[in-house]
Amino acid sequence: MARRWIGIVVIMLGALAAARGQGVALDASVDRNPVGVGEQFTLAFTLSNAGMGGGKDLKLPDLGKFRIMAGPNESSSVQIINGAVSSSVTYSYILQPKETGKFTIGSASIDVGGKRYASPPIALEVVQGTSQQRQRQSAAADDASVQIGDNLFLKASVDRTHVMQGEQINLVFKLYTRVSINNYAVDKNPNMTGFWGEDVETPKNISLTTETVNAKQYRVGVIKRVALFPTQSGTLEISPMEVQTTVQVQDRRSLDPFDSFFRDPFGRAVNYTVKSEPLKIKVDPLPPDPPAEFKGAVGQFAMSTTVDKRTTRTNEPVSLKVTVSGNGNIKLIESPSVELPPDFEQYSPKVAESIDRAGERVSGSKTFEYLLIPRYPGVKVIKPVTFAFFDPRKREYVRLRSPQIELNVEQGTAPAAPLIAGGNREDVRLLSQDIRFIKLADAGLSRRGEALHASGIFLVMVLLPLAGLAGAFVYTRQRQAVMLDQAGYRNRKAMKIARKGLKQAEYLLKEKGGNPAANQRLRFYGEVSRALWRYVGDKLDIPQSAFSVEGAAAELAAREADPALTDALTGILQTCDMARFAPTSLEVGAMQKTYDEARRIIVELERTLK
Amino acid sequence: MVLAALCAFLPSLLAAQSPDELVAQGNQLYQQGKIAEARDAYQKVVNSGYVSGELLYNLGNAWYRTGDIPRAILCYERALRLLPADDDLRHNLQLANLMITDRIEPTPRLFIWEHWDAFKNWLSLRGLTIVTYGWFVAVIAGVAVVLLARTHALRKTVALITAGAAFIFLLFLASFFDKVGDVSRADLAIILDRVVTVKNSPDPKSSDAFVIHGGVKVQIIDRFSTWVKIRLADGKVGWMESGAGEII
Repeated sequence: MARRWIGIVVIMLGALAAARGQGVALDASVDRNPVGVGEQFTLAFTLSNAGMGGGKDLKLPDLGKFRIMAGPNESSSVQIINGAVSSSVTYSYILQPKETGKFTIGSASIDVGGKRYASPPIALEVVQGTSQQRQRQSAAADDASVQIGDNLFLKASVDRTHVMQGEQINLVFKLYTRVSINNYAVDKNPNMTGFWGEDVETPKNISLTTETVNAKQYRVGVIKRVALFPTQSGTLEISPMEVQTTVQVQDRRSLDPFDSFFRDPFGRAVNYTVKSEPLKIKVDPLPPDPPAEFKGAVGQFAMSTTVDKRTTRTNEPVSLKVTVSGNGNIKLIESPSVELPPDFEQYSPKVAESIDRAGERVSGSKTFEYLLIPRYPGVKVIKPVTFAFFDPRKREYVRLRSPQIELNVEQGTAPAAPLIAGGNREDVRLLSQDIRFIKLADAGLSRRGEALHASGIFLVMVLLPLAGLAGAFVYTRQRQAVMLDQAGYRNRKAMKIARKGLKQAEYLLKEKGGNPAANQRLRFYGEVSRALWRYVGDKLDIPQSAFSVEGAAAELAAREADPALTDALTGILQTCDMARFAPTSLEVGAMQKTYDEARRIIVELERTLK
Repeated sequence: MVLAALCAFLPSLLAAQSPDELVAQGNQLYQQGKIAEARDAYQKVVNSGYVSGELLYNLGNAWYRTGDIPRAILCYERALRLLPADDDLRHNLQLANLMITDRIEPTPRLFIWEHWDAFKNWLSLRGLTIVTYGWFVAVIAGVAVVLLARTHALRKTVALITAGAAFIFLLFLASFFDKVGDVSRADLAIILDRVVTVKNSPDPKSSDAFVIHGGVKVQIIDRFSTWVKIRLADGKVGWMESGAGEII
């Protein structure tokens, strides 16, 4: 057994060795050529007869023009045919071309037993689209195209290409045909940006008419009819419409009887897409300065207003209908604003519209039904409802104005609800109010930055009372000080008072030409006495109540006054007392003497009691 | 013909007038419904440096009528400093504030401050100055009488009255100083741009904090190059370009 195994192995090894001896080669191939862009194909490098060791280090050529989708996939095979052994290893890549053109896939190389083998380069053509599909279809399609050609087309037409904003344009798509069409379906509706389109009803079954174009007679069917209203100005484009048709074509090419046998005797159905041309519409803007009520309505309109009842009760609703009818962009009409007396409750209107699209122009009516609830009794006036539109025929704005509506509101059974209910309500009421009128009185202009409190006069006016207060303060302080220093005060004032008393005495002395009456003489002594008393009291700071001649004499002695002066003072005081209580010796000469004596004493005392 | 001549003549007529005549002219134009012309006349007076509460009120009305609510609010706010107790003015300002986009709820304040504001705004600054001065003189006179009074009874009575007067005077003085601060404060502005995007930091690339619209009253709390830091009445804070509003 063992010998037999060994024998087989030896044979195998021998065979492999033999195989190795035969030509080692690296080949390159693609599974298809030409290739469509985006189509996948396989690039394979096949290494044959590389023997046991196989190949190492496969170096790829530059594949920059392709996308590597998968790979490398390695597969190997060994074949023994009639004793000849051949082995091969295939490295395959799935590639996708990026662009069209003729390319050369360069050499790949591989290392087999230390020796490099290179593959031959491959020329590859990349074509547009799917090459095989194209080939398959082109025959039939070409034939169909030839047959259909001018005989089937879609035409878009408008009744006018230059309009005002909001003016109606009729757009019609017609299918012209000279071939028989089994069926059609709209593939792509036109894009009508900048327009508001209203599909005009077209009958389900297309009624065909005949038209002659370029001396050929066509059957014509209207596929779509649209009323367009431009909502903006400028040059607007209507993009093409695409319609997929199924056309019956006669297959004339094939003469094969078997083919003919299986063929539809009426021809073959082919799908064919027809496309209309894009259209350009020039739209002029509306004239400037529209009336305030204008909200975009263009056409010819009439307005009517009706109220369901003229007399109502509070809290019973009244319906106000405003109907706008005519032709134009009815759908775009906005509700005209109705101005109500403030004590009405108003709800947003109920809108109903009926549009007739059958005719040349879109016409119809739009009804706005306002529900009004009066809250307070009285005769209420609803201001005229106004509505404005642009008439493209006259090229001007038209304002419509309804008559004024009067409503007689009677007191209903339910009590009037308070008008302001809830926080929101108050805001609304305030909004309905208006600003108050300007002030017509003298404006009282002043220069900016001229504040009263910052003016110089004001500063002075503030400082003045303060200064006055300061003065009063100083004055009081002084007075207080003087009062505290009573002795000093009396001392200072003593001379003045004494002099005043003596002056009085002197006056009395000189009464009646130096011969005063008896009572005046008495008063003279009194004055002299008082002046002296007062003076001495003030000077010596002795209260008047505690004053006595003895006390004064003692005080004077204490102040080291001249004893002679003290004696003179006591003497004259006694003289005065005697004269007052025993008025026998009231002679003018004595009086003069007393006066002089008193003066001398005061002057002396003033000098002594400094 | 005559009208055309008048129209051509009008501007030169306006230029030659004194401020008082210009105001009268504006009032007349306003009454005739020529709001824009009236507004220009008022504006001219304001630009020439003259000012009064009535004038600013009328100018605010003209802005309101010509549809510029934020400017109307600005004028009303300026007028309010001169006519704090004017009923018409407060009404119109309230109305204008209802017309703007943003409704900002101010943060609630202690009721006593509301009373204080009511007291403070009862008079204009000028009126408050005069009243405060009157009380000042009364207090000074009272003190002087107390100082100079010779009898004790008189001194006692006058001192009592003066103490009361001094209390009232201090109250007015405080409100006077508060009002001087209010009137001269330059950190309140009205947004005039239609829409302002307020940023989180003074940088155009910064993230958006919030959006406010024209007419909103903001407090300026900081400045950085062309940016201002603002605070809304409800306490929101952010940065915006300083050109978007005008100081009251």
